[in-house]
Amino acid sequence: MIIGFTLNGKKTTVDTRPDRRVVDVLREDFGLTGVKEGCGTGECGACTVLVDGEPRLGCLMLAVQMEGRDLVTIEGLAPEGGLHPLQEAFLECGAVQCGFCTPGMVLAGSALLKRKVSPGRAEIREAISGHLCRCTGYQKIVDAVETAAARGGKKEKTE
Amino acid sequence: MRPVFLPGNLEELWRVLEREPAPRPYCGGTDLLVHLRSGKTDPAALVCLERIPELSGVREEEGGLWIGAATTHARLLDDPLVRARLPLLARALSTLGSPPVRNMGTIGGNVCTASPAGDTLPPLYALDGEVELRSRDSSRRMPLRRFITGPGETALRPDEILACVRVKPDGAYNVHHFEKIGIRRAMACSIASLAALLRVSPSGEVEAVRLAWGSVGPTVVASGEAEQALLGKRLSRDALEEAAARARKAVSPIDDARASAAYRREVSGNLLLRLMEYRPL
Amino acid sequence: MKSSVPEIGRSLRRADGPSKVTGREKYAADHYGEGLLWAGVRRAGIPHGRILSVDTAEAADLPGVVAVLTGGDVPGTNRQGIVHKDQPVLCREKVRHCGDAVALVLAGDRETLAKALSLVRVRMEPLPGVFGIDDALAPGAPLVHEEWSGGNVLLRATIRNGEAEQALEACPVVVEGTFEVPPQAHAFLETENGVAWQEEDGTVVLVVSTQAPFRDKWEVSHALGLPWDRIRVVGPVLGGGFGGKDGATVQCLLALAALHAGGRRVKMWWDREESFLAGYKRHGARLHYRLGAREDGTLHALRCRLFYDTGAYAHLGGEVMALGMEHAGGPYRIPHTLIEGWCVYTNHPVAGAMRGFGVAQVSFAAERMMDLLAEKLGMDPLELRKKNALRQGDRNCAGVTLTASTGILECLERIGTHPLWVDREKWKSQAGPFKKRGVGLAAVWNAMGYGRGLPDSALAKIELTPEGRLRLYSGVSDMGQGNATAFVQIAGHLLSQEDETIELIQPDTARTLPSGSSAAGRTTYTYGNALIPACEELRRRIVGRAALMLLVDTLDDLELLPGRVRHPASGREVPLSVLAATMTEHERVCISQFLMPVVREVPGTGKEFRIGFPHLFFAHAAHLARIEVDELTGTIEVKDWLAATEAGRVLNPQGFEQQVQGAVAQGIGYGTLEEVKLREGRILTPDFAAYILPGSLDVPEIISLVEEVEEPTGPYGMKGVGEVGANGPLPAIANALADGCGISMTRAPLTAEGVLEALRRKRTPGAGETS
Repeated sequence: MIIGFTLNGKKTTVDTRPDRRVVDVLREDFGLTGVKEGCGTGECGACTVLVDGEPRLGCLMLAVQMEGRDLVTIEGLAPEGGLHPLQEAFLECGAVQCGFCTPGMVLAGSALLKRKVSPGRAEIREAISGHLCRCTGYQKIVDAVETAAARGGKKEKTE
Repeated sequence: MRPVFLPGNLEELWRVLEREPAPRPYCGGTDLLVHLRSGKTDPAALVCLERIPELSGVREEEGGLWIGAATTHARLLDDPLVRARLPLLARALSTLGSPPVRNMGTIGGNVCTASPAGDTLPPLYALDGEVELRSRDSSRRMPLRRFITGPGETALRPDEILACVRVKPDGAYNVHHFEKIGIRRAMACSIASLAALLRVSPSGEVEAVRLAWGSVGPTVVASGEAEQALLGKRLSRDALEEAAARARKAVSPIDDARASAAYRREVSGNLLLRLMEYRPL
Repeated sequence: MKSSVPEIGRSLRRADGPSKVTGREKYAADHYGEGLLWAGVRRAGIPHGRILSVDTAEAADLPGVVAVLTGGDVPGTNRQGIVHKDQPVLCREKVRHCGDAVALVLAGDRETLAKALSLVRVRMEPLPGVFGIDDALAPGAPLVHEEWSGGNVLLRATIRNGEAEQALEACPVVVEGTFEVPPQAHAFLETENGVAWQEEDGTVVLVVSTQAPFRDKWEVSHALGLPWDRIRVVGPVLGGGFGGKDGATVQCLLALAALHAGGRRVKMWWDREESFLAGYKRHGARLHYRLGAREDGTLHALRCRLFYDTGAYAHLGGEVMALGMEHAGGPYRIPHTLIEGWCVYTNHPVAGAMRGFGVAQVSFAAERMMDLLAEKLGMDPLELRKKNALRQGDRNCAGVTLTASTGILECLERIGTHPLWVDREKWKSQAGPFKKRGVGLAAVWNAMGYGRGLPDSALAKIELTPEGRLRLYSGVSDMGQGNATAFVQIAGHLLSQEDETIELIQPDTARTLPSGSSAAGRTTYTYGNALIPACEELRRRIVGRAALMLLVDTLDDLELLPGRVRHPASGREVPLSVLAATMTEHERVCISQFLMPVVREVPGTGKEFRIGFPHLFFAHAAHLARIEVDELTGTIEVKDWLAATEAGRVLNPQGFEQQVQGAVAQGIGYGTLEEVKLREGRILTPDFAAYILPGSLDVPEIISLVEEVEEPTGPYGMKGVGEVGANGPLPAIANALADGCGISMTRAPLTAEGVLEALRRKRTPGAGETS
C-alpha cells in the first residue's frame, strides 16, 4: 500500500504493509534510527514522533495512520546542520547521559514549549511523565526545558 | 499481513464493515496494539476510526454534552466545555496514562476496552453517562452501566461501533472529586480509584451525592448504601467512616500483580475520608 | 558551552552530546544492513527440566528460515561465563531457568522468525524446582548444577575479625533484624542486542551493546571454539548498562548465528519481555544482622549472615556477595566482625552485576540497624553515625586498613549543617491532613575497582592524526556515565586542544586496546591514569617535532595551542597538520598502561574469595531523604533529597552531578517501586506495565553536594563515583518511614500496601492477619 505523508518537512511516500508499526517503518525504511524502541508497549516514550505537532508513540501507531500526516522525528527538529534551542539547552544543562531517551524527551519538551511559553518545573515534569529515563533522574532534563523556555526558545547569543 | 482500513467518514466505515469479515475497530490503539503484541487478540483485520469527523468533538446538546467516541483524551482535557461543565471527568483524564498516550487514546476506546481499571469510567458512571451505538441502519442508546457487562466485555454488536458518549454536566454538584491510586504518579494502571460528586450546603450538609469506584470490581462499583450514609449528614469523620465501611462491603476486588484484594478493599473505604477536605471552612 | 580547551575541574559538556541530541548517534541497536537476517532464541519456558528432545524440522522447513540450531550445533565448549563457565549457549541436557536458551533460529524477517520459534518442538521432563534460598539449602534439595561440588552453594565465605560472638555478649546494647531485598532489573532503555557477520577470512565481527568488548572475545572464543584472534568486537555507546551488559548476553548466540549466515549480517535484539526473561538481574538477598554497641554508641560487634540468590548460573555471584560482605558493616569502625555469606544457585533468573554490586543489599540492613541502635540508645542518628564514621587510617569491617582517601565523616557533617536537616522538625510538623512526614539518613560507601585477584588495568592509546587532530582510542565502553567525555577532558587539557576537535573511537578490539570492563566505577580512574602519561608523551613528541622544525633547542620555549605549536619569543608557529605530515604513525601514536594499586596488607580472612577482595579505594556518601506518607493509601512521596558525596576530586562537576542524580533515581526505584516478582521460578513482572520504574513525577529535586578529599593516586585526584549513590535511597527512605510513622519495614520495595499494613499493625498490635 502506498502511504503519502510529510516527513521532516518533505512530502514523501512509502510502499509498505499497512499494519507495520510506524517505529519500524521510520527506522528500517527511512533509516531514522533516532526514533528508538525501548519497550514496544507505549510505556517508555523512546519511540516518540511528532504527528501534526503532537507527540505520539511510534510503537503503537500503524503505518496506514501516517497517511496525510505531518511527521517530525528528532532528525527533523533542527534546521540543517544546526540545533534547536532545546537541543542546545540539553547539551548545556547536561541532560544527556546514555542518550537513548533523549530524542523522545526533546520532542516532548519541544511540544510543551509550543503550547506554553513559561512552564514551571512541575508542568515540565508532567509533560515528560510518559518518557522513562534510567540514567539522569530527570532533573537536568527539566533544567534544560526550563532554560530553553527562559530564552524564549531562542538560541543563546554567545556562540 | 493484517489489512488495516482508514475510512474518512461514516459512509466509508459502513462499507468496510459490510465488506470485510469482522474487522476490529480501533482508534488510538493504546490498548489494542498492546494486546496484539501479547497475542491476547488476533483479529483478521483492523479498521481505524481516527479520521471520521462524525465521531469526534464535544458539543452542547439539550440537557447535556455530546462527546464523540473518537475524541482523544488530550483533546477533551483542552476543551473548554469539558473543563467548565465536567470538571470531574477532566480530573480523571489528567491521571490517565501520560501525555503521548493521551494524544492517542480516546474516550471511546477507554469505554470499549471496558477494563475494570479504565480511568474515565468511574466519572462517567457517576455522571450517569449514556452511550450511543450505531450501525449503518440502527442507532441505540443505553446507560453506560448497562453497556459494560463485565471486565473487558460490552454489549457492542459485531456490526456496531460506539459513536458517542452523552453526559449531563455536573453543575448541580459543588464537589467534583477524583482520586486514583497507582504504584507511581503517571503511566500507572489504577489500583483503586474514587469518583465523587457531592452537593454540600453552605452549612455543611450533603444534599446530593454520587460515588463510583474503579479497579475494585469486575466493573465500576457504585454503592447506594455508602451514598446513603452521607446524605443529609455533614462530612464528618464519623459519617465518612460509616460510608467507608459500607463501601468496603460493596466492592469485590481481586489479588493481582499490582496489589492484593485486601489492600484494595481497605483503601476503597479510606479514599472516602479524603472528602473531609471539602468541609466548609 | 562552545568548543574550548578543557580545564580539569570545570564542567565540560558531553563529547557525544551533539550526536545523541540530534538522533545521529548509532547505538548497536541502530545497526542494520543489506540482506539482514534476524536471529532469535527459543527459551525453556519452565524453570527446571531435563531436555528429552528438540525437534527443529518443522521450523527449519518454514520458507524464509535459514537455520535452526541446537546445543549439538555449538562447536566449542558451549559454555559461557565470566568466572565460572557454567552457562550453556544452547542447553543440551537440562534447563535451569525459564529464560534458558534451547534453540537458535535465523530467518529473513522478524515475522518468519517468530513463527519459526513457535514451531520448534521441545520436549522436557520437568524437574522439582529450587525457588529461593531456603529451597536451595534444604537437605536433599534438587541440584541446579549436579556436577557442582558445593551442591546448590556457589560460594560460602567468612570474614572474621576479632571475636564477634563473644563481643556481642558483652555489649550493653544489641539490635537485630532480618531484611529481604528482591531482584531488580537494570531496565536500560536499549535492551540487549547486536549485529554479527563472518568475513571472508573467517573473522567473526560483532557490533554489540556491551560493557566488556575485550572479555567478550574470550567468552565467544571459549564457548564456540573460535580462535581468539578471529573475533572482532565493536562496542558503540550503550543505551544504558548498569552492569546488565557485563558478561555475554547476545554475544555467543550471535557469533554462532554468524557462522551459519553465509556472510550475511545477523541481528538479534531482545525485546523488553525477553530482556526481563533472559537478562541478568540484581541479586535478591536475605540478610540477618546483629549489631552491638557500648552505652556511648561506640560500635563494638557485628554478626551477620548474608544469603544471596544467584539464580541459575554463577555469572559474578561470588564476587557480588564478596563485595557485599566487605561492606556489610557500613562505613564505620567495628572492631569485632563475623560476616558469613552463602551465595546459592536457584532456578531463578540469572543474577549478576548491577550498580551497587552486592552493596545495595547490605546497605539496607546496615543503615536500618544504625537507626534502630540510635533509637535504643536515645541518640541522634546523625551523631551516632559521625561518632563511628571511618577515617583514613582506620580498619574497616573487613579488617582492611584504609590507606586511601576516606571522606564519609565530611559527608555526614555536611548533611548536618544543611537546612533540610536543620529544619526537619518544623518541616515534619507541617504535614497536612492524613499525611505524616519523616526524615531519614543513610551513610553509604562503595569500593572502586576489581580488588585483589584480577589486574585492574587499562591501555590508553592516543594519536595525532595525519590531519593534525587528536584521536582518542577508548578501551572502555561508555554506557552513559560519560567516561569518553572525561577522556576528552584529560587529553584536551594536557594537549591544549579544543574538546570538539578531538575524535573519539569507542572500544573496538581491532583498533583500541584492552582496558577491562566498564564496571566497578573504575573506568575514568584506570583508563584516565593510563591516558595521562600517554598524553604527556604525545605532547613531548609534538613539541619535540616542532622544535626540530622551528630550530628551537629546548621544549620549554614552545607552547602547544589549539591546532598549532608556537614559539612565543619569535612569534613563529607551525600548524599541527604540518607537523603531523612529517611524522610516521609510530611517532604520532602513544600508548601507556596503568594498573590500579591493590591492598598490600591483605587481612587474614575472606580466604574463600579468589577475586574481588579486598579493595583499596572507596567512594562515600551521606543521603538525607524527606518523605511524606499518606495514611489513607500508604503511598510514599519522596519530597526532598540531599546527597553529600565524596569521590576524591571532581574532574567534571556536571558529570559528577549527573552520576549522583541518576544513582539516586535508580535507588528510589529499588527502594519503593521495583521488584522482579517471582512465583515458582516464573516472572510475574515481564514488562514495563508490571515492572514499575520511577518517572519524572516520582523523583524529587535532588540536591547534590560535593565533598572533595584528594585521592593522590587518581587522575587529578579523582575516584569513581558511579555506584555509591544507588546504595543510599532504600535505607534512607526506610529510616524516614521509621522516623515519620514509627514503622520498621524490613522488606523492599517499600510499597504503599506494605506501609498501610505496617500502619494498621501499629494501630492494632496483635490483630489478625490480612490477605
